Amino acid sequence: MKKIFVFLIFLLAMSITMIGCSSGTTSDENENTGDSSDSSSSDNQGGDGASAGSFTYWYPWGGDSETWDEWRMEKYEEETGVSIDAVYAPPDGGLSNGKLLSAISGGNPPDLVISNDYALAYGLAAQGALEPIDEYLANAGFSEDDVLEGFVPLMKQEDGNTYLFPQDSNVNLLYYNVEMFEEAGLDPDQPPQTIEELDAAAEALTKVEGDEIERLGFIPWLDAGDGSYLWGWVFGANFFDPENNQVTLNQQALIDTYEWMDGYAQKYNPEKIKSFTSGFGGAFSPDHPFFTGKVAMTVNGNWFANALKLYSPDTEYRVAAIPSPEGGRENATTFGTNVFLVPKGAENPQAAIDFALYGSKQDILADNINTWRSISIWKETTDAIEWENDHVYDMVLDVAASSNSGHPALTSIAGQMADELMSLRDSVIYNDNNVADLLQAAEEKMQKEVDEN
Amino acid sequence: MNTERRNLRNGLLFISPWIIGFLFFTIYPLFSSLYYSLTKYNLITEPEFVGLQNYRELLFVDDVFFTVLGNTMYMIFVGLTLTTIVTIFIAILLNTKDIKGMSFFRVVFFIPTLVPFVVLAILWIWILQPDSGVVNSVLGLIGIEGPGWFASPKWAKPGFILMMIWMSGNMILIYLAALGDIPKTLYEAASIDGANVLQKVFHITLPMLRPAILFNGITGMIAIFQSFAEAFIITNGGPDNATLFYSLYLYKNAFQYFNMGYASAMAWILLIIALTMTLIFFRLSKRWE
Amino acid sequence: MKASLPVTNHMETRPDIDPTPEPKKKLKKVNKGFKQLAVYIMLILFASAFVVPFFWLLSGSLKSSSELFANPPVWIPEVFQWSNYKEAFTSFPFLLYFKNTLIIVFFTCVGAVMSNSLIAYGFSRIEWKYRDGVFILVLATLMLPFQVIMVPLFLIFKDIGWIGTFYPLIIPHFFGNPFFIFLLRQFFIGIPKELSESAKMDGASELTIFLRIILPLSKPILATVVIFQFIEAWRDFLGPLIFLSDNRLYTLSLGVQQIMSENDPRWALLMAVGVAMTLPVIIIFFFLQRYFIEGITFTGSKG
Repeated sequence: MKKIFVFLIFLLAMSITMIGCSSGTTSDENENTGDSSDSSSSDNQGGDGASAGSFTYWYPWGGDSETWDEWRMEKYEEETGVSIDAVYAPPDGGLSNGKLLSAISGGNPPDLVISNDYALAYGLAAQGALEPIDEYLANAGFSEDDVLEGFVPLMKQEDGNTYLFPQDSNVNLLYYNVEMFEEAGLDPDQPPQTIEELDAAAEALTKVEGDEIERLGFIPWLDAGDGSYLWGWVFGANFFDPENNQVTLNQQALIDTYEWMDGYAQKYNPEKIKSFTSGFGGAFSPDHPFFTGKVAMTVNGNWFANALKLYSPDTEYRVAAIPSPEGGRENATTFGTNVFLVPKGAENPQAAIDFALYGSKQDILADNINTWRSISIWKETTDAIEWENDHVYDMVLDVAASSNSGHPALTSIAGQMADELMSLRDSVIYNDNNVADLLQAAEEKMQKEVDEN
Repeated sequence: MNTERRNLRNGLLFISPWIIGFLFFTIYPLFSSLYYSLTKYNLITEPEFVGLQNYRELLFVDDVFFTVLGNTMYMIFVGLTLTTIVTIFIAILLNTKDIKGMSFFRVVFFIPTLVPFVVLAILWIWILQPDSGVVNSVLGLIGIEGPGWFASPKWAKPGFILMMIWMSGNMILIYLAALGDIPKTLYEAASIDGANVLQKVFHITLPMLRPAILFNGITGMIAIFQSFAEAFIITNGGPDNATLFYSLYLYKNAFQYFNMGYASAMAWILLIIALTMTLIFFRLSKRWE
Repeated sequence: MKASLPVTNHMETRPDIDPTPEPKKKLKKVNKGFKQLAVYIMLILFASAFVVPFFWLLSGSLKSSSELFANPPVWIPEVFQWSNYKEAFTSFPFLLYFKNTLIIVFFTCVGAVMSNSLIAYGFSRIEWKYRDGVFILVLATLMLPFQVIMVPLFLIFKDIGWIGTFYPLIIPHFFGNPFFIFLLRQFFIGIPKELSESAKMDGASELTIFLRIILPLSKPILATVVIFQFIEAWRDFLGPLIFLSDNRLYTLSLGVQQIMSENDPRWALLMAVGVAMTLPVIIIFFFLQRYFIEGITFTGSKG
């Protein structure tokens, strides 16, 4: 019996000593909040971007990315005298788990959020949860003309206002194993450019021994191909027609996309493929099927090159633009863009946007870009980027600048549509269901959602 | 008369913290959610009253809802049943007299409930890895080719059931406590009658465990209805919607599809299902008496 | 309920089963040793199934990255990478989060013990009209999914200015929890009525009886409440995520993720934090487990 009390007293003692320390932090926090409400008014009037003050900032990353962001914040605080109240908000800036929505509807939002889920962010903007930022961008001297064209549609909503501001972005490429290409009698200098060539190469690279798969040439839904929009986009589909507010899923391009995937599924058994290729740790472990030689080609982001360097330095690989079918989008990718947003009711939007602009500057991003080969959103490049004559980065820039690259399905229901397409694809590959029927049903369902919103 | 009034006053005084909490932290949120369930509401703009539309859509239009309900029921009827059998069996073993190191064993079975969710989810992805995971490696040793677990629409739910059994330390403890309540004399009498172990288990232990089974059944059912963290991290509902469970779908509707009204309607349907099932549990357990 | 159905049948057919003839006495002793051995073997089998994942976590936390992904799996790392722990603790504010978690855990435990024992007393030791009806209401609140009341709750807490403090995570625990109320009520019912009645004869009030007689008898069940509450608060993720809006108030279960970078998750470090979060609770549990098991009762025959 005594033990319980000893334990409770121990806990009490611990807590009391610690409350001593913590009361300090609590009062700090109060001071900060006071600061921000004071400064917000002056900031809005001043608006020259360099005004001191403070703002709250939610970021989704831990680990190295967090360290990098902390470095950026510190630098900014030093240069401008602004104090940033940064909050770690996993997994995507609090967008997908209700943290941000609760804060907005509670009238207690941060001033700035950065999210790695642009589709959800776009949906938030469409729902009216965000503050238009045109005014603040203009105050800070931003001009839309400096931004790569592929990013402009993402920033805006139907009402013509700007709501999202991209920090940086990632593209997807076809990675292929040079050694395996040579061994299969394929020319590594001539990577597949069309879907037929991709299928042929996949066939040549696949090794099946009786019932056992030893190696697969290619699997459409591995890595970035697992994303709901990538292949549809490459096949030329437009998921949504913003002008007429129409969901357009039942179209030939998407029927082709899923029937093409189903071809792989029927050939090799989707469960087997998934078991065969699933590795714990994904791209950041030596377990990834491309590293272990279980697949010869895969579509993945630019950062995958660095993962290869870290976990599989001996794999000789090259990259190419994602192969596309006739009538599809050549040299195209869907972007993986990190976006800044200002929630409705933010107290200090100008300070937030000033930092967002500062943070997307290439020389600030350089460290990030130089590690992960991500791309900046600006047309003009800077010397701080060290990827000259890098085969991968050349391809990254090429694809990023392509007019065929973009952010698909910019609608208020992008997140829901992504889930719908994912389950549609599973229904096709696992159960060999009729594609057109499923697309028609999904289209109707999504259209209803759009009409209701 | 006087005593009755005094008792009423005292009783209410003692439970007053619960009454306050109930009003503020349960009734008020509950009725706001009832109101939201009759509206179209995205948490940002004003809720717009739509009557029973959300309920109609859930029950008559949304076929995903029935997949979700089916998945959840599978976890209750198959998963919870298996968990109940395993946990009772372990509790009976742990309750054996004259076994050394019993406190060690008790701790062992309780450890898994202490691991934080994020770590737990990642740990299980790793353990149930089809190719090199621990489970399939062990199965391989005895000549069984392990299934694809989370990679397979057929085996993903059984994967979650394994996790559920692994995290059932609470249930084991409750059964263990209930076993301690069973008077020894019952067993002694049965021994004199010449009953064997199985007969004792079925004729004494299980009937005496009835309240504990009822309790674990109800709390376990509610836990299944409410759990979503594991599926959220491990499979996000896939493959082929095989692990899209009730709470996960509710959560997606509320925060990712901006349909708070729809999610609230789901919650109310859940409340009604849970209450009905609880009543059925009670009935069944009564009949068993 | 499937499990219980066959049992039901057995119960109905009980009269038909003939008691087995009495076994010979000589065999009994051998039998007993045999039984014990069987129990041991089964226990060890089950225990290993339960401990292997945790062992895997533990060994993973000490592995080098090449060992983590070795195929066939490596069970015991060749060199223990203690540096994983050091790195894990320095890659996010471990001590601060640990402290925050402890504060929340402590106050929720205090709240749970205080409020639930009072409430359970009202539901068990005092006879009043409507009592059992109200108690069913208490049980019904067990069924509420948190996600549904989360947003309305957030709005309440926001209106009273609690967002960004520990209060939303602590204060509600001072107002009862249906699960604990149930456990405590079952225990209180088992305490003989005569104890209260003789005290009442001596003029003691309900509060005195509660404090002087019932509580001192209830330590085992209170220990149970403390443990359950401890674990719940220790592992809670969604609550802190939604209600805390300041890194300096974050808890360990939130912080665990901070180790993961999208572009370079460090698995071994994650495992290390997982172990660090689990071990202290295991130790506490080890010491408290006996009272813990004694405390839970369903039939009310303890006391």
